[in-house]
Amino acid sequence: MTELLLQCLIAGRPAAIPAREVQSVIAVEDITPIPGTPDFILGLTALRSQALTVIDCARAIGVENSAPVDERRAAVVDLDGHLYALLVDEAYDVGEALSEAVAVPGGFGAGWQRAARGLVETEHGPTLLLDTSALICTPRQDAA
Amino acid sequence: MDDLLADFVAETREMLEASGGEIVAWEADPSDRTRLDTIFRFVHTVKGNCGFFDFPRLERLSHAAEDALSECRAGRREPDGALVSAVLAIIDRINAMTDSIEAGEEFPEGGDEELIAALQTGEAIEVSSAAMSAPAPTPGTGTGTGEEDSPDEAGDDTPVAAKAQTVQRSIRLPVDLLDEVMKGVSDMVLARNDLARRLREAGDQPTIDGPFDRLSTILADVRSSITRMRMQRLEQLFGSLPRLVRDLSNELGKQVMVDFEGGEVELDREMVEMVRDPLTHIIRNAIDHGIEGPGERLKNGKREIGMLRFSARQAGNQISLVVSDDGRGIDVARLAEKAVAAGIYSQAEIAAMSERRKLHLIFEPGLSTADSVSAVSGRGVGMDVVRANIERVGGSIDVVSKPGEGAQFHLKLPLTLSIIAALTVGSNGQRYAVPRSYVEEIVFGASDNVEFAAAGDRTLVTFRDRRVPCLALGEILGIGEVDESDWEEKTLVLIRLAGDEVFALAVDKVFDHEDVVVKPIAPAVMETRLYAGTTLLDDGRPMMLLDLPSIATSRMQLGEGRLASHLVDEKDDEQVRETMRIMLFVGLDGRRRAVRLETVRRIDTVAREAIDLDGQRAQAVIEGEILTLLGHDTGELPAERCRLLRLSDGDREVVYAVREVLDATEVDRDLVPASGDPLIEGVTLVEGSLVPVLDGHALFAGLAAPREARRTWSCRIPRESDWARTILEPLVEAAGYRIVSDEAEEADIAIELAESAHAKTAAGAREVIRLRSAPDAAGADDTTIYRYDRDGLLAALKQARIGRTA
Repeated sequence: MTELLLQCLIAGRPAAIPAREVQSVIAVEDITPIPGTPDFILGLTALRSQALTVIDCARAIGVENSAPVDERRAAVVDLDGHLYALLVDEAYDVGEALSEAVAVPGGFGAGWQRAARGLVETEHGPTLLLDTSALICTPRQDAA
Repeated sequence: MDDLLADFVAETREMLEASGGEIVAWEADPSDRTRLDTIFRFVHTVKGNCGFFDFPRLERLSHAAEDALSECRAGRREPDGALVSAVLAIIDRINAMTDSIEAGEEFPEGGDEELIAALQTGEAIEVSSAAMSAPAPTPGTGTGTGEEDSPDEAGDDTPVAAKAQTVQRSIRLPVDLLDEVMKGVSDMVLARNDLARRLREAGDQPTIDGPFDRLSTILADVRSSITRMRMQRLEQLFGSLPRLVRDLSNELGKQVMVDFEGGEVELDREMVEMVRDPLTHIIRNAIDHGIEGPGERLKNGKREIGMLRFSARQAGNQISLVVSDDGRGIDVARLAEKAVAAGIYSQAEIAAMSERRKLHLIFEPGLSTADSVSAVSGRGVGMDVVRANIERVGGSIDVVSKPGEGAQFHLKLPLTLSIIAALTVGSNGQRYAVPRSYVEEIVFGASDNVEFAAAGDRTLVTFRDRRVPCLALGEILGIGEVDESDWEEKTLVLIRLAGDEVFALAVDKVFDHEDVVVKPIAPAVMETRLYAGTTLLDDGRPMMLLDLPSIATSRMQLGEGRLASHLVDEKDDEQVRETMRIMLFVGLDGRRRAVRLETVRRIDTVAREAIDLDGQRAQAVIEGEILTLLGHDTGELPAERCRLLRLSDGDREVVYAVREVLDATEVDRDLVPASGDPLIEGVTLVEGSLVPVLDGHALFAGLAAPREARRTWSCRIPRESDWARTILEPLVEAAGYRIVSDEAEEADIAIELAESAHAKTAAGAREVIRLRSAPDAAGADDTTIYRYDRDGLLAALKQARIGRTA
């Protein structure tokens, strides 16, 4: 069985989120910051009278991102009853994974390594398959 | 107890219905083992439940059936048709009895023995004819028609079934389902708010606004119904306590009576469960440590039997629950010793504490006044856990104790868990919610009686003789630095945590009180230990709910009791000296005076025209009401606008003219009597200077007219004139008159234009004022007033009014 993937761009790299985890893709406009939280948590945004925690995927992985926030899209995922909006540079189509996720010798780099399940082949070439729960549960930078 | 009984009935009936099919199947095949098991479980449960209540007959029946069935299950007896019939007859009888219990009637005596005997082997045929003489009702149909002729005493036809059918039916629902519905409704409210905002932005749309308002009303109704669905009477909780008290007092050789009050108060189901454990713990403590043994009680001149009293009442959206005993009270000295022994406080710290704070040591972790660890209390789970549990659900706990007379625990609990009353505050451009239950007072940093002081890195604020730590919300959240000069621009929210620790939270702005629906937040946000949840504002934007206890703990080690003792402890004085709250103001003569705060209803500002002085009589018109004016004789009234204190004794109101309203403050209740001025009750000291306090009694005693006599003065103006509508109306209204536009309605005064051809305005009015458009009067007998002669017009209005009252 092939897995459906939401293909996106994070910090300029192609990435994919398992489509079954994604409830919808939204354009994030208004973010209410939550002071005191790790920097990858941008704040809260409201979707249909529900509060979503906005996660900057690039920062959670540990790479800086230059794209301005108001133009970015986010994938809405539900983890343990909490809704998160995973902010990405671009969200493309949903496509099929053409292979199983595999590790790459030498890894993808620390941040990516932790947040990714492996490399999958897609129609658009090799893509990193993200592990959303690992991404969301990124340890605090100061604690790490 | 009724609720428990209703539960029992509901559960029995539910099982009956569920096992209805099983019974029929078992009848068809008595050897079917799984059916047998189901029926066995049913009678077994009924038997078990009966143990809680006083239903010996029901218990005996179910017990007999259980015995017979267990014989079969053990293989010692082969189920046959006779046994099946006998068991079914018993089940029918259980059903009928349950109906009687529900209807609150006595079940007809007798007949049980035959049914039980029928279970015995060999006697089956004889009995089934006796016991089953009535047409056997179809099993499992609940309140069928079969019950009216119960197997015994066929002649006695009490209409059991008829009554049973009128009993209100109830259904049992899983709480999860209710929660889900509740959550859905909460979301609907938020969605409605969002829609409301969009509608507002889009402007008036009559076709949509109407239905939308209806939707809002319905939604509000549904929300309150759902909330009620989750409500449970406290009786439910109280019902289980007498047993607990009985067991504990027996164990400890004490005699304790329980008394309940307010069992009808309703509380969120979940909340009831949340308070069960803390309450049990308090009861344990009270019986173990509080209430003395019978001998000691008699020696102290008390009744032999101790009294444990529970009283609950609802106050707004809070429930207050008081548990009091008449025991020896809490031994504060021992509590203090223990605290020192346990190394929680030093001797010096204890010495500096007020009695009240010492009493609150009971909530410190690791303290117990019990000398020996008894089986009942003192097992390491202390009142600290009780307090933590109650605080976790947004409640608070307090304790009062009188040596030799007993202790009282005051619990305050929110009605529901998910909706809380909050204060919204602003800091660095963002809004945050603070649970109302913690907010004690709001003061402005710029007030004269607020002083800031720096002690190391800590900022302290002194307010009303109390020095408390001050935290800036911006700094806590790490979004703004506060310079010393900034403090005065802040608004201070005084936060009182459950342990009576107070700190001031400095915010940029205080917005509003709101009921908010609290939603959980993501674990990563939770980790900050700054927020307790999130909620959505009316405009759809999220807002964070601050977690004050945890902020206090992490920022100041408050809540762990360390810093608390450094508070300037003024509690002592407050307890000894009774205080009263007064409102300070500057009278028209420029002198400071005060009035008891309770009598002040509000502060009004009126135009000078609304005040009417005429010899002895002084009145002011506020919103169409004429009120007696006092305080005007102390000095000149201001030329334009005048501030009035509106005082009320509950029925009647007077207004008191002042130059400036200063502040509300607390003073010693004992006033120094002052003679001379009958309107002065006495003098008190405020910040070192003498302030006379008005005598509320004397103020109202001088009033002749009760409130009912006052009425709104109405004035009709010619509606057809643009001038009258646009120029005259506001003037007349400002002077305190109600404008009458309906031609048919009677008016006290009518104003008409002298040049106007039709004079119908005057019809039905008692006084008429005519206005002319020419500045000069037409002749000596011309009573008309020039339309721009403001003073003349107001004087005429006044004249008309005096003429009426005279």
